[in-house]
Amino acid sequence: MIKVDNLVKYYDTFQALKNVSFTVNKGEILGFLGPNGAGKTTCMKILTGYMPPTSGSASINGMDIRDDSLTVRQILGYLPESTPLYTDMMVGEFLAYVAAIREIPDGDVKARITEVAKTCDLKAFINKSIGQLSKGQRQRVGLAQAMIHRPQYLVLDEPTSGLDPNQIIEIRELIRELGKDRTIILSTHNLPEVRATCNKMLIIHEGKIVLHGSPEELEEQHRQAPRVIVKIASGNGELKKTDVRKKLDQSTAFTRVVEKDDEGNGVFSFEIEGQKGEGDLRRVMFQYVVAQNWVLLEMRQQEMNIENIFRQLTK
Amino acid sequence: MTKILAIAKREFRSYFNSPIAYIAITVFLVITGVLFFVQGKFFEQNEASLRVLFQWVPVLFLAYIPAISMRLLSEEKRSGTIELLVTMPVTDWQIIWGKYLAGLAFLAVSLVMTLHFPLIVIANGSPDIGPIIGGYVGLFLIGALYLAVGLMSSTWTRNQINAFIISLMICGFFYFVGDFLAGPPPQGRSRLLYLLLVNFKAVFEYTSFKYHFHNIERGVIDTRNLVYFGTVVAFCLVVSAQSLAARKWRG
Repeated sequence: MIKVDNLVKYYDTFQALKNVSFTVNKGEILGFLGPNGAGKTTCMKILTGYMPPTSGSASINGMDIRDDSLTVRQILGYLPESTPLYTDMMVGEFLAYVAAIREIPDGDVKARITEVAKTCDLKAFINKSIGQLSKGQRQRVGLAQAMIHRPQYLVLDEPTSGLDPNQIIEIRELIRELGKDRTIILSTHNLPEVRATCNKMLIIHEGKIVLHGSPEELEEQHRQAPRVIVKIASGNGELKKTDVRKKLDQSTAFTRVVEKDDEGNGVFSFEIEGQKGEGDLRRVMFQYVVAQNWVLLEMRQQEMNIENIFRQLTK
Repeated sequence: MTKILAIAKREFRSYFNSPIAYIAITVFLVITGVLFFVQGKFFEQNEASLRVLFQWVPVLFLAYIPAISMRLLSEEKRSGTIELLVTMPVTDWQIIWGKYLAGLAFLAVSLVMTLHFPLIVIANGSPDIGPIIGGYVGLFLIGALYLAVGLMSSTWTRNQINAFIISLMICGFFYFVGDFLAGPPPQGRSRLLYLLLVNFKAVFEYTSFKYHFHNIERGVIDTRNLVYFGTVVAFCLVVSAQSLAARKWRG
């Protein structure tokens, strides 16, 4: 279990973390979300022992990250932001170096390198110089070094940045697989990624946690009045946008009407909000348009997904 | 210990992955060769001596050692690998020792590559072996001393050139300060510096690198010299470890 209690971090006078507290249980994958400069990386740097918090505490597996720093670092795997690596080394040589510092017995080193090379798909360039690798390949080397000692805890700062879509899917699968019996914290800008890999998420904004829960829970909590985007055209004869607007405003079924950009040729776009708990807004909308003798060219339901929650909370 | 060796081994190997090491060692061998054969008047006197070498290599080291030591930590800082290194289960001290050992190994290799000079001397006559060994030990010690200064400078900056200049200046100051104060007050700009420093003449004389090296050059190594070398090296390594840990103080 990772337990973070009231972390505060100041860089000179700038407060990067404001009383951040959360816990991550075994088997959980926590997705750390937030705009750039929100404090994600700071929090990870503190957890991995790179720098201490100004105040507050954190423990991993019951051990304080400052008092038992060395032990904590033994059971932790860390992929720092932007994956710093020794560019003058070969991939295999680098992994052997990490294995030596991690005190993996000499006899096991080869097998471990083969193991992580397989999980991170490094075989093709294991004898290449790290300086010659692409960003995605480097990222995989970074992940491999974080896993070589089979840590129970993984802290990954933007693990999928720089990967191509196929690799992203592979790495997500890998993280999900690893997460079954481990504890993982990962940060990302990629919102669908949180849904795809994480079972807990945490949104941090200006150093404060603004949201914490499972993605499904959060979407449920933030469910709001239903909303649709529609494109309406005239059934026959002339039709003006202002008239459509007036009609829509008069209807009690719709609580809010927002005009959107039109595509021209007498096709008008609106975003329409219905009443909460009044059944499916799409059904109401369709019947209304028919009753007005208009034509409905397009209708799209707006869902309150993680993207919207994120934008709302971090604006 | 295995961790220290792992760090040292990686660092030592990476010397040979960069052209700087080859350039530095080539320049070093060319200059020592010139010193030995030309400055030492090897061909004219038909007599071989290592005096010139022992006299000038410490000066040559003022630039050579900082070139070896400049990358030790500043490169890790520049590339960000320092974050990888310090979040692995190693202490700051293990990192410092690993880096220092790598530098010492490179220094030792450099000295081994000059061993043809004493071999020529021995082949040309029957010199005292004692002073030769003493001279080499002296060169190694003074190199180790500069290296500790260089490592310390390297922990202060992420720019290798800055690390080079800082260690060159520190080593240069402590090398020349003894001679500078031994003479009469100079005219011109350095006069003020002289008058300022001369108040602490005894201190500077004692801390001068050259003062301690002179004994060793003659093939004499006494405990006072060793204590001096040990103290300065220990001081620099402590400062280096503290400087590495400084990321923990901020905030």
